[in-house]
Amino acid sequence: MADETLLDILKRRGISRRSFLQFCAATTSLLALPPSMAAVVAESLGKVRRPAVIWLSFQECTGCTESLTRAHSPSIESLIFDAISLDYHHTLQAASGHAAEEAREQSMKADWGNYLLIVDGSIPLKDGGVYSTIAGISNLQMLEEAAAGAAAIVAVGTCAAFGGLPHARPNPTGAVAVSDIIKDKPIINVPGCPPVPAVMVGVLAHYLTFGSLPDLDALGRPRAFYGESIHDRCYRRPFYDQGKFAKTFDDAGARDGWCLFELGCKGPTTHNACATTKWNGGTSWPVQSGHGCIGCSEPDFWDAGGFYKALSTPVDSVTGAATAALAVGAAAGVAIGIANRQRKARARAEHQTVTIADLEK
Amino acid sequence: MSASLQKGLNAFREVMDAPIASFFSSCVHCGMCADACLFYTETGDPKYTPIHKLEPLRRVWQQEYTLTGRLGRMLGLSQPVSDDELAAWSELVYDSCTLCGRCSMVCPVGNDITYMVRKMREGMSAAGHAPEGIIGATKRTIELGSPMGVKLQALQAQIRGQEAETGLTIPVDVQGADYMALLSSMEIINFPEYLGALARIFHQAGVSWTLSSEAFEATNSGIQIGASDIAREIVARIVTAAEKLQVKNVISPECGHAFTALRWEGPNLIGRPYKFNVIHILELLDELRSSGRLKTSGKEDAALTFHDPCQIVRRGGVVQQPRVLLGAVASDFREMPDHGVMNWCCGGGGGVSANERAEHLRLTSFKRKKSQLDELGVQTMVTACANCRIVLEEGLEHYNMNVKVVGLTELVAEHLVEQESAK
Repeated sequence: MADETLLDILKRRGISRRSFLQFCAATTSLLALPPSMAAVVAESLGKVRRPAVIWLSFQECTGCTESLTRAHSPSIESLIFDAISLDYHHTLQAASGHAAEEAREQSMKADWGNYLLIVDGSIPLKDGGVYSTIAGISNLQMLEEAAAGAAAIVAVGTCAAFGGLPHARPNPTGAVAVSDIIKDKPIINVPGCPPVPAVMVGVLAHYLTFGSLPDLDALGRPRAFYGESIHDRCYRRPFYDQGKFAKTFDDAGARDGWCLFELGCKGPTTHNACATTKWNGGTSWPVQSGHGCIGCSEPDFWDAGGFYKALSTPVDSVTGAATAALAVGAAAGVAIGIANRQRKARARAEHQTVTIADLEK
Repeated sequence: MSASLQKGLNAFREVMDAPIASFFSSCVHCGMCADACLFYTETGDPKYTPIHKLEPLRRVWQQEYTLTGRLGRMLGLSQPVSDDELAAWSELVYDSCTLCGRCSMVCPVGNDITYMVRKMREGMSAAGHAPEGIIGATKRTIELGSPMGVKLQALQAQIRGQEAETGLTIPVDVQGADYMALLSSMEIINFPEYLGALARIFHQAGVSWTLSSEAFEATNSGIQIGASDIAREIVARIVTAAEKLQVKNVISPECGHAFTALRWEGPNLIGRPYKFNVIHILELLDELRSSGRLKTSGKEDAALTFHDPCQIVRRGGVVQQPRVLLGAVASDFREMPDHGVMNWCCGGGGGVSANERAEHLRLTSFKRKKSQLDELGVQTMVTACANCRIVLEEGLEHYNMNVKVVGLTELVAEHLVEQESAK
């Protein structure tokens, strides 16, 4: 079993070589690689021998795992997951308790320095990390141990990538992202709440094919998927350009598919692949179903103002410091205004009527 | 002989208001006003950039009306405006600005640069930096009643001439008339046919009108030189005469700045509303035409175009009326490029035509009008401002161009339907 290649596994599961090549071509184009690379992807992926993967779940809701694995019909994406040697994933693995932890430790020992570490969920730091522990080990400790022997880390979901919901104000557990803790390993952030499955698989495929990280943006996200905003790829964009906006969710504009900007769509500031890859096997995506983008693949999306407030409305109420600054500014403005009025009044008082005799020196 | 820097700077402080403060703080230094200015486009000299013409006024605003400016002045980082600077700016404020308002139209942040130049002239004139030519015109207006020195006797002579020409009586000092007509001295001296045209049109339309022997001059040199005290005195003459005769309306003639002075600045200068309405002659003619009282027949066959007087069209809002009137009397009316509110100035408005030292610059800037006319190739140019008309005629002569300039009111009068009953 251990010598079986990915292609062998897929064949055994009823996936034809043709389907596999189609999948490789699609993934190649998703990754914005030249079409000629499809063959390379297919060849490399086909030969991959069950790479060891350890999946750690911390402060999360299992939504990311759901998104990636519980497709309605078994897809190549889900089978890829079956094909990899997922040595530890406490939602998916059969073992539990001490046996599960032993499996993780064994896998880490066996593939030290070579395994891929996937993390979903944020890591609580407050009060010594007591807010989330597995088998009595704090998330922080488990991450640090597992990361030490990892070749690379993939932070799946917005919680692992940016802190996500647990990180939302007032952040009672002191939750942080993987990249806030681990500084000495390559980290790929695949944010989204949850991330698009094809994106996740695309990143894995890239790593398995080339043995390197894909090109990342400033937030550590693969440019191939997060390079452009939802807004720039949105099929409703022409309505935005024409100034046609739905004002409520049930008005004529909404029925005619007009832009949802005024209903709070965060598309213009959100970078993700939803508009092109869509969800549920290409069925639809949030904007297509009539709801604005909530910006789930961006840092602090939960604190970025109401989901139903247009982007142009201010996010926060005025803080104390701002109020003080405002008051000082207003007072200064009034003072300058009074001084200026006096200056002008003085000038008026000093005005000597200009007659034709006063036009020359 | 009491003009001084002190008085000039005091006037700058006095005119400083919310619009000026917001205009100066909004300027983004884009330079778009330069390309809108005749004097820049025809010379290519960046000193003619409209906003730059206001630099001394801007410095007074910054040094005395802003916090950072005051601090800067206290720390000796900026020097106060000097008399030499104002002397240097005299050319920019008077010779190279006709108050045409084209720069105000293009400003992306909506700064009314023209408004500020008008205000800046208050300080320039009080500091003794107004050009000799405009000072002379202003003195003649105050002392003799008109910038060209035209007195009542001269008008009376022209009235007699036009009465003989038209066979109609031209009413003077008629109490309670509906309309009191004004004239510019340019019309009295150079284009008396305007008066005859009025008589014929009003006769046909049955308009009750009059001239006033006490206030017939519509122009206002006080506005051009930028001395509100003097402008007030001049506009008050008209107001007094019109209210004495108890007329319902006062007609601003075919003169650009007279309309600005009477229609827009007048009530602010005297500090109260008028007891009469001010209407431009083109507005009145269009009203008479649309109500059927003014009937024309026949049309000019020759191709002609219309030169938009800045103060009447761009600054005055009388845009459509001249076109409707021209449509009624001309079969081949062709618009100039940039016509209407974006038309180019004749180059002699805002006192420039009275300013002898600006003559060379004025004729240089006429190249723009020349190129507009060359493009159209018409032989007749209609306009509705006596000052534009004289400046255009001088420019056409200078460049040896064979184009005739006609006043719109006269053109309309030439096409009046002759009514038997009216004779």
